[in-house]
Amino acid sequence: MNKFFYPKLALVNLKKNGNTYIPYILTCIGSIMAFYTMVSIHSNKGLDQMPGSINLKMILFLGIIVIGIFAVIFLFYTNSFLIKRRKKELGLYSILGLEKKHIARVLFYETIFVTVISLSLGLIGGILIGKLLFLLLLNVVHFKSPLSFHIDYWGLLITTGVFLAIFGLTLLTNFLQVKLSNPIDLLKGGQHGEKEPKSSWIVTLIGIVSLGTGYGIALSVETPLEALLLFFVAVVFVIIGTYALFISGSITLLKQLKKNKKFYYQSRNFISVSGMIYRMKQNAVGLANICILSTMVLVTLSTTVSLYIGQEGMRRDFYPLDVSIVGEAANTDFAAVKAIVESEKDKLKVRSNNEISFDLAHFRAFQESNHFLKDMVADESTDAMYYERISNITLIPLDDYNRLTSGSKSLAENEVLIFSVGDNYGEPTIVFGDEQYLITEQLESIPMDFKKTQDMGHTYYLIVKDAGVMDGIYQTMRNDDDPVTTLHALMFNLDGDEDTLNTFSANMRAAVLQNNPDINIQNLYEALTELYFFFGGFLFLGVFLGSLFMMATVLIIYFKQISEGYEDSERFEIMQKVGMDKTEVKKTIGKQILMVFFLPLAGAIVHVAFAFPVITKMLAAFRLTNITLIFLCTLVGVVVYALVYTGVYLLTARSYYKMIH
Amino acid sequence: MRLLEVKNLKKIYTTRFGGNQVQALSNVSFSVEQGEYVAIMGESGSGKTTLLNILASLDKPTSGEVFLDGKNIVTIKDSEISAFRRDNLGFVFQDFNLLDTFSIQDNIFLPLVLAQKNYQEMNSRLQSLSGRLEIEEILQKFPYEVSGGQKQRAAVARALITKPKLVLADEPTGALDSKAAMNLLKIFAAINHLGQTILMVTHSVAAASHANRVLFIKDGEIYNQIYRGSMSNDDMYQKISFTLSVLASGGEDLE
Ligand SMILES: Nc1ncnc2c1ncn2[C@@H]1O[C@H](COP(=O)(O)OP(=O)(O)OP(=O)(O)O)[C@@H](O)[C@H]1O
Ligand SMILES: [Mg+2]
Repeated sequence: MNKFFYPKLALVNLKKNGNTYIPYILTCIGSIMAFYTMVSIHSNKGLDQMPGSINLKMILFLGIIVIGIFAVIFLFYTNSFLIKRRKKELGLYSILGLEKKHIARVLFYETIFVTVISLSLGLIGGILIGKLLFLLLLNVVHFKSPLSFHIDYWGLLITTGVFLAIFGLTLLTNFLQVKLSNPIDLLKGGQHGEKEPKSSWIVTLIGIVSLGTGYGIALSVETPLEALLLFFVAVVFVIIGTYALFISGSITLLKQLKKNKKFYYQSRNFISVSGMIYRMKQNAVGLANICILSTMVLVTLSTTVSLYIGQEGMRRDFYPLDVSIVGEAANTDFAAVKAIVESEKDKLKVRSNNEISFDLAHFRAFQESNHFLKDMVADESTDAMYYERISNITLIPLDDYNRLTSGSKSLAENEVLIFSVGDNYGEPTIVFGDEQYLITEQLESIPMDFKKTQDMGHTYYLIVKDAGVMDGIYQTMRNDDDPVTTLHALMFNLDGDEDTLNTFSANMRAAVLQNNPDINIQNLYEALTELYFFFGGFLFLGVFLGSLFMMATVLIIYFKQISEGYEDSERFEIMQKVGMDKTEVKKTIGKQILMVFFLPLAGAIVHVAFAFPVITKMLAAFRLTNITLIFLCTLVGVVVYALVYTGVYLLTARSYYKMIH
Repeated sequence: MRLLEVKNLKKIYTTRFGGNQVQALSNVSFSVEQGEYVAIMGESGSGKTTLLNILASLDKPTSGEVFLDGKNIVTIKDSEISAFRRDNLGFVFQDFNLLDTFSIQDNIFLPLVLAQKNYQEMNSRLQSLSGRLEIEEILQKFPYEVSGGQKQRAAVARALITKPKLVLADEPTGALDSKAAMNLLKIFAAINHLGQTILMVTHSVAAASHANRVLFIKDGEIYNQIYRGSMSNDDMYQKISFTLSVLASGGEDLE
């Protein structure tokens, strides 16, 4: 035999199966591009020089892992789909006299071709698009100075290695399939499509219970901390529930319908019920995959977009005023600090407003109704309620409060005013150590902070009679690693364009710390860069993964349509022969197809609806509490996704209808 | 009584691209009496399937007429044709044409469900058929779970359950082994005894030798026919074989 026989046959096969292999190769290319891009961005040297790049790198690394796992699962899935569809053809070869080892050789060359094409195009594409995506990333994280982006040879090597391994494994499974089967099986293989899932009440019940549990968790979560802890538990339950219900629940339900003879033997129901049973049997796993992927796309996109858009609002929660400089009152020369700040401001012509300065003491305590305890009860730390009871307490002398508010309140030795950032403090008194203080007023506002939703624990400001009382309480309550004396704070807001303020912030920090190394400076503009990195990185990854999952969904839908069309064309003919109207056949089949394809989307939307409460709670942990914003982002996400999904459906439906005519 | 009358049937296929024309039927006329069992034979490509498809109203002739029970089926409107087919004709195909989405029982019920018969009625009709066709055991199974012979018997049940005027069969034994084929032919003979009119296309001499009459088609025309008269199956067999060999040698007119 000619030594080019097998490669030639392999090439012919790929061409002949073009309508499934071209999309498969495109998926491979896409996955390789995605993987390489992530790796090369992650390893870009320039990123290391940016502040906050550690978070960003962590996010990118997460992305690499997710894409890698995704590529393995997804390429395996599509490969098994392809090889199943080709079993008949392979069986024919063996009947025509090709031995198994020859068939294996053909498969080997096919894999070689697919691998070479995918890797070369994927890597070239990755190199081209990598730069573009890198610039995009720098843009979403608000990084201005240009960074160079080179071809990452290590990245090329790693990507090639990973995907060679994946292709090698798929080839091995194909070998195994051929080896384990006899020609008759191969000939019949394509006929039954995916393995028939058994429908049983038990699996259905498991599905209902786990979906219910997942939803239940989602709805009952109350605090952000619970949300973070329980979200993934809920996700696992929902995934199990989704698979079980798609695989078994749907068929159990349909079989129940079938048992009702009066209903079932109506010409319309007869054809749709049995058609749906058959379709669900064949497609359950694929549809469940689509449903889960769609949910992932929706959740990823809506959370990352919400975070990105919402960060403007949430930064205020962290920083009531733009800059706060806090140091120990006794050994810091605040006049000198202020002079340094002023001189830095002058240099860049930055102006400030809302400038306040005051004495304070700050500590954390454990709240038991109106008693505040110094020692936290350590062994209860697993209890979520434990974190609820940790309070941040700031003491401020009445003099400073009156000066800042131009007020003239007065207090006795054992009286205090209280401002609670979250819900109002409900008790008439407050007890530190042995001393009990009477609350004379619940303040509605305070110059150094404002009311906001509290996700865990409480934050209280207490106005006390004078520095003596303040120091008394502080010495009773302070922990060993807190500063020995009370503090002084200088806070102000800044005016100016962002770039100038960024420079100013850096300069000021350097200048102040030079003389006062122990001082604590918190600056919104510095933090902002980090936030942008964090949420920008998230957004980037979200959109990136979202597109990848979307691509996967599109491909699964396409494959499903093709295999449906292939089988329906035969069914279509038979039904006409037995005396069914052509238009009627078309209508019923069309309806079934529509149902099959929109079931996963409907499922995904229901999942997202139930996930919404958890998502809002989780985002609250990132201090994003604007539920309207989250809702809008989710809604827009769902609508856009549904439109894209419908578009894909319509496009692929065309190849379906072509097949049944 | 004359059940089917075919007059001057002509069918020309025009290939989709360009004027390449194939004349599948050039001029076919014959008639079938109520209760007859007619076999149609002929070489591959001689036009048998084409003829059967026209009789089944699945295809339209280029010219000519087909009367079933006095009604010209060539002129039936498209919108009524499905119902007409359902009510008057039963089909048995070489490749069974069972739907894999339905159990065997539901496959058999399909034409009745389409005709909106109620379940009791369907069930009682099936009862009387399933015994004779030996398919009681497999009614709840799916087509891919049963043998070829069983599938074909199920297809026969589906053809008969509507009590059609005419059963059309295109090479019904073509995909069966000789034992299953024999079995099926016995069934055909039996239902013909009960008065069912059958028109069967076949390549098998053995199959044709069961019929009352055999029509031979050559190049789109009726070339010859053999009546059983009082002949036994074996005599029929020999006569058919002889006619076929003459036909194959392109021989001169036999009459
Ligand atoms: N749809 C079609 N379009 C064009 N030509 C056709 C079509 N169907 C059949 N033919 C041609 O018409 C002629 C008769 O075909 P037909 O299928 O009726 O033969 P047949 O007698 O059934 O043969 P066989 O015994 O092999 O089944 C053949 O030459 C065939 O090529
Ligand atoms: Mg034929």
